[in-house]
Amino acid sequence: MRLHPLLTLIQRPSPRGEGQARARPSPCAEWDRLMIAAQDGHGGAYRRLLGELAPWLQRYFERRLPPGEVDDAVQETLLAVHRRRHTYDPAYPLRAWLAAIAKRKWIDQLRGIGRRPTDALPDDLAISDHEAMVTSATVLASLLEQLRPAQAQVIALVKLQGYTIEDASHETGLSASAVKMNIHRGLARLTAFIEKTDDVE
Amino acid sequence: MSSDALIRRLSADLAPVRRRSAWRDAAIVIAACMLEIALFRALGLMRPDMGQAIGSAYMQWKLGGLVLLAGVSCAAAIRSFAPTASSRAGLSVAIALAGGLAVAGLFIAPAGAHGDALLERLSPLHGMLCALSILVVSLPVMGILALLMRRGAPTHQERSALACGLAAGACGALVFAFCCPANDPLYVIVWYAAACLGVTAMGRWLLAQRFRL
Repeated sequence: MRLHPLLTLIQRPSPRGEGQARARPSPCAEWDRLMIAAQDGHGGAYRRLLGELAPWLQRYFERRLPPGEVDDAVQETLLAVHRRRHTYDPAYPLRAWLAAIAKRKWIDQLRGIGRRPTDALPDDLAISDHEAMVTSATVLASLLEQLRPAQAQVIALVKLQGYTIEDASHETGLSASAVKMNIHRGLARLTAFIEKTDDVE
Repeated sequence: MSSDALIRRLSADLAPVRRRSAWRDAAIVIAACMLEIALFRALGLMRPDMGQAIGSAYMQWKLGGLVLLAGVSCAAAIRSFAPTASSRAGLSVAIALAGGLAVAGLFIAPAGAHGDALLERLSPLHGMLCALSILVVSLPVMGILALLMRRGAPTHQERSALACGLAAGACGALVFAFCCPANDPLYVIVWYAAACLGVTAMGRWLLAQRFRL
């Protein structure tokens, strides 16, 4: 008889610790088994799985999005995982499936940032953690290198540094409509670039 | 809401789900095509000389080619409903196949239409009616593919929508080929291709932005 995947998860390690490293499933294999159990309706396994996916997603988005967008992206992805859990094929690793969904959500989030009106940042903005921002800025900087200098400059000014369109227009010497057009085209180009990139975390 | 609260909410009262199966999706599309053909047969709309025509090189090219095209494009569309898959390769194969079939068609002698003028061979009025009929016949398959796409998790919606449109067009053309009395490969190349392109564009336009993960 085939053992339920959950049974393998709740097995306790032998007291002598024999072959512990071999018997212990890798986190990814564990995720696979937890998802299979979740597809069968096991709430406990699902809670544990989502609890383990959330920090992974947090790290994934911290490297790709501005800090204010990370929580939204994580929750959106968790919801997508929940709604589409029947599309997971147990023959393949869950991590690839999750990365594909996370990448889609990343693109959606970038599109959302492009559509949202931008407010100027206050001068006394408190910053608690620099690490995520630095990592995120590095990725964003490398992405901006894919754009034309004029597009990269206005996106950096308006979307990252919080300039208003008018301020960016003064700064760059371009008209306000040219600034808006450069932002629009630049974001579209970034989105297209990201969509073409095979990025599996 | 915090992520922890969301996780608690999502995992409470979790119901089992039926796993998506590409084979089941394919079976549904095939069943829809068979149903349409059966309906045409029941309504007496099938080509009356089908028994003799089926043995001709023209008919074998037409039906064989459309079966191949429908198969490849449906496979590309259905495959793309999984988040980890892309329809890019399938679409490329389908487009190359369509081009190859069109070229192959030019080498098949048209049945009794050798000396006719181009306009006569194309028969624009009948051709447009044929294209319109293919468009109508492809709608049920398009609807089924839309439902399957909605149930799946395509991560490249635009390409998936394009593949769905092409698949629906090819299936519609295949079903209609059993009723179409035309015997000229040029006619098929022009009007069937026009219909398939129209349905593909419609699928791309209708389905691309409708479904979110």
